[in-house]
Amino acid sequence: MIGLLKSMATTMKHALSGSTFTVEYPETAPDVSPRFRGVHKFSQERCIWCRQCENVCPNDTIQIVMDDQRNGEQYNLHIGQCIYCRLCEEVCPVDAILLTQNFEFTADTKHEFVYNKEQLKAVPWYKDIDPLESREPDRGAWIGEGEGEVDYQ
Amino acid sequence: MSAVTPLQNGDTVLLPERIADLTGLGEFGVAGELLAAFLGAFVIANLMMAMTGVAGPWAKRKITAAFTDRIAVNHLGPAGIFIIVADAVRLLSKENIIPENADRPAYDLAPIVIAGSALLGFAVIPMGSGIHLADPEVGLVFVFAVAGIASIGLVMAGYASGNKYSMLGGLRAVAQNVAYEIPLVVTGMSVVLFAGSLQMGTIVEAQAQPLVDLGVVSIPSWYALVNPFAFVLFLIANFAEVGRNPFDMPEAPAELIAGYQTEYSSVYFVLVYLGEFLHIFLGGAIIATIFLGGPAGPGPAELGIVWFLLKIWAVFLLTQWLRSAIPRVRIDQLIEIGWKGLLVLSFANLALTAAIVGVIA
Amino acid sequence: MSTGTESMPEDATDRVDELADLLGSRALTREDHVNAPGFVVNPGDVQDVLFDLREKAGYDHCSCVTAQQYEDRFETIYHLKKYADPTDEVSIVVPTPLDEPVSQSAEPVYRTADWHEREAYDLVGIEYEDHPDLRRILLPETWQGHPLSASYDQEKPQVVTLSEHANPLEPDHEDPESDTMFLNVGPHHPATHGVLHVKTVLDGETIAHIEPDIGYLHRCEEQMCQQGTYRHQIMPYPDRWDYVSSGLLNEWAYARAIEDLAEIEVPEYAQIIRTLGSELCRIASHMLALGTFALDVYGEFTATFMYTFRDRELVQDILEDLTGQRMMFNYFRVGGVAWDLPEPREEFFEQTRDFLDELPAKVAEYNDLITTNEIFQTRCIDTGVLEPDVAKDYGCTGPVARGSGVDYDLRRDDPYGYYENLEWDVVTRDGCDNYARVLCRMEEVEESAKIVEQCLDVLEGWPEDDREVQANVPRTLKPDADAEVYRAVEAAKGELGIYIRSDGTDKPGRFKIRSPCFSNLQALEEMSQGEYIPDLIASLGSLDIVLGEVDR
Repeated sequence: MIGLLKSMATTMKHALSGSTFTVEYPETAPDVSPRFRGVHKFSQERCIWCRQCENVCPNDTIQIVMDDQRNGEQYNLHIGQCIYCRLCEEVCPVDAILLTQNFEFTADTKHEFVYNKEQLKAVPWYKDIDPLESREPDRGAWIGEGEGEVDYQ
Repeated sequence: MSAVTPLQNGDTVLLPERIADLTGLGEFGVAGELLAAFLGAFVIANLMMAMTGVAGPWAKRKITAAFTDRIAVNHLGPAGIFIIVADAVRLLSKENIIPENADRPAYDLAPIVIAGSALLGFAVIPMGSGIHLADPEVGLVFVFAVAGIASIGLVMAGYASGNKYSMLGGLRAVAQNVAYEIPLVVTGMSVVLFAGSLQMGTIVEAQAQPLVDLGVVSIPSWYALVNPFAFVLFLIANFAEVGRNPFDMPEAPAELIAGYQTEYSSVYFVLVYLGEFLHIFLGGAIIATIFLGGPAGPGPAELGIVWFLLKIWAVFLLTQWLRSAIPRVRIDQLIEIGWKGLLVLSFANLALTAAIVGVIA
Repeated sequence: MSTGTESMPEDATDRVDELADLLGSRALTREDHVNAPGFVVNPGDVQDVLFDLREKAGYDHCSCVTAQQYEDRFETIYHLKKYADPTDEVSIVVPTPLDEPVSQSAEPVYRTADWHEREAYDLVGIEYEDHPDLRRILLPETWQGHPLSASYDQEKPQVVTLSEHANPLEPDHEDPESDTMFLNVGPHHPATHGVLHVKTVLDGETIAHIEPDIGYLHRCEEQMCQQGTYRHQIMPYPDRWDYVSSGLLNEWAYARAIEDLAEIEVPEYAQIIRTLGSELCRIASHMLALGTFALDVYGEFTATFMYTFRDRELVQDILEDLTGQRMMFNYFRVGGVAWDLPEPREEFFEQTRDFLDELPAKVAEYNDLITTNEIFQTRCIDTGVLEPDVAKDYGCTGPVARGSGVDYDLRRDDPYGYYENLEWDVVTRDGCDNYARVLCRMEEVEESAKIVEQCLDVLEGWPEDDREVQANVPRTLKPDADAEVYRAVEAAKGELGIYIRSDGTDKPGRFKIRSPCFSNLQALEEMSQGEYIPDLIASLGSLDIVLGEVDR
């Protein structure tokens, strides 16, 4: 009986404290860690079309089309199929592909999740967080230092 | 009975009589009285259903959210109260899916029986402020009897759905109701020993006498204070009767999906759902009437209905509180508690009360 | 490490010689694996050999059964261990010819082999004599062919309709005289923790017989791993086996196996971070187990569920800062971890310590809410009883085994990572019932918190110039051809083992996952026989299965 009363007292304590743990999304945007992996952003200016991201991708999410001169023509990425493992960012020698913190994306059909390079360029930063900056201290071990300003449009 | 008959129970004027007086329907003889009675019943049924409508979709969410540190509905209207409208539209516009092997008339009738039996019970409950539909001499027995009809509805729902989970839920419901109806009624009888009457009006009046007079405050002789033991017994038996934690076996979503209501959808589901809440409120109303002094409370007598509703809501709150904190018992343990525990205790309580009443008399 | 009571034999070769003597001429040849000595035996000698190994040599834990096809033969490998000392391992290799893949079943010796052999039959196509019930287990009954066998034709229609498949002459088993009722619990049921289907035969509300039917969430995880490169492409997938919270623990299983196979040294600093992250995952996973168990016993309005999820959320926030994702971490790399601790480090330490400081009060609150509650006790004590011997026979591990008093924890008994250097205890309970399992998990949360705290201490004092998060690993890993390894770690649910056979390329030849939930779930039948439906649900909850890991 004491145990029962203790249980009841515990929940009543929570009810009376009035504090809530949940937040009202989307009015209150959740805090996202700087390392969070969301939708990709692509920079055609930086890309050297080495196809390493296409090769490393575990489930063939990235598709690259080049002409016979090895000039890049298409860079397609299925953000609905992607498992957000960040391996593409990790192997990219020139930081041409980055995972932003942006996790909010919707579409009516799954085919609309196939982003071409123009759409990938247009992916906005989440709350203006540039992941390149927040990842800076750790990136040395992985990727050579990028040079100069990075322009992702 | 007509508007001019001498009043029973002191000054109590029943609702149909008032309506007859106000509208002049009393002059049309039996037909007028009948119409007045219908109007009265209409008012009370709507009051209760409106309360259930609020309690179901809105208050329950708010209360549960408070216990679990969440926010709950707050977008539609003040404190999200208009979610009721949204819920009503949503539930009523859904397709009413009827299982192929449902036993048709029984399947259709069950929700009506479940909801109707609970509504019927409110007929004899004195709610204060003159809202009292009827006051037969066997009021208490009547209310237990009609509340008991719900068991038939549950079994009908369980059996007629043609679903094994519903069947198990229905069987559990009837086993549980049989086991707990007896302690419930026997404990209720101990109140009758005190009041000396089965009439609800008399029981409420008997509780108005002061128990202890401390000069400034006088504590009324509510039977919850006179005989707290019976009150606790009655509360526990009532939880089993309405099927709420720790005795929510007939539904037990983790075990039986939703028990007897598994196959109900749309309007039928609304009725079953309403019926369940009405039963909780009816349980609360019985407790308020026979243990908590009915509509009694500080302030003028016109506030009676407010006090009465507050008491009902307190019981409702308690059920939700228990749901947040107490596990459900197993079906065999439930039956054991009922037959070996509560039944014995309730008879002991009855004997004890009889002895006390005898000594005082 | 808390204890070091297990006695290792003086010389491992002595042990192997003893085994060779015991097996005598039944051992055709030796086929050693990276983790254990292996003996090749005839398909007809399996029961005989395994029985001797269990009774005479004390190998009481059939950890895993791997089946695979080579160009010239099928092969079944029984990975045997001892509960008292899991480092003492032996592999029994049973080759069977391609044209007649029939081998003796190990089920009479180890009960757990039942499901493992059904899986082998289902996916690879080896048949087992004497097996009590050799049916498909993961794939639907109507599936055509065995997908991991070489002759499997991907182009052919894989599933036929039941009417095409069913035998019309088969008698209908419905017995009008019978008093029992058949009830499908699941695959869509609120309390099955995923898509599990439990075929239940009820006598009243008492359970006469149950049979878990699994495979609804089979996603070919083993084959997906076989198609990925060791270096990068396998690591994202372990997160998706036990997907609820224990991603890092799963990743460690793969990391440990491949690091042993390819002989990669992991820097100590990375091992500490791994230990830290893994124990945080364990806390999160046990919180979820506790919450969902409360949901099963209390009903859907219980406050406990939300409170545990609140605490799990805090852990996930920490893990998000560390790994960049809340559940699908992909944080471990072959030879280390992807990232160092997040900058600013002080903030990370503070956040984690804040969580640890608040944890004891929260555990006390859970005790108030759950374990001291009398109704909870009457519901859970002496229900779902799993005797220690039965638990061992079914290959149960993790909190399920420890709740039955089986003192088995790979973190201590087969040390890896940084656990050896830390002070903590293995929690065991003798209750053998649902209550013991719940308590066991709650106490393990406290032990994990101890480990995390010590890891934080070490990390804070770690010199700044020595923070090597990853060993130097070649971009293409090609372990020696035909090297085989079976390595296990203590995941949240128990022993999570990975078997890898290398075929000389940069992708595994065979990748087999030994899932703790798979073995634990098998014991459900034993636990719920003769009890009531609510006990079945509670027992299922106390096993803490994740169907993603059961079905893989």
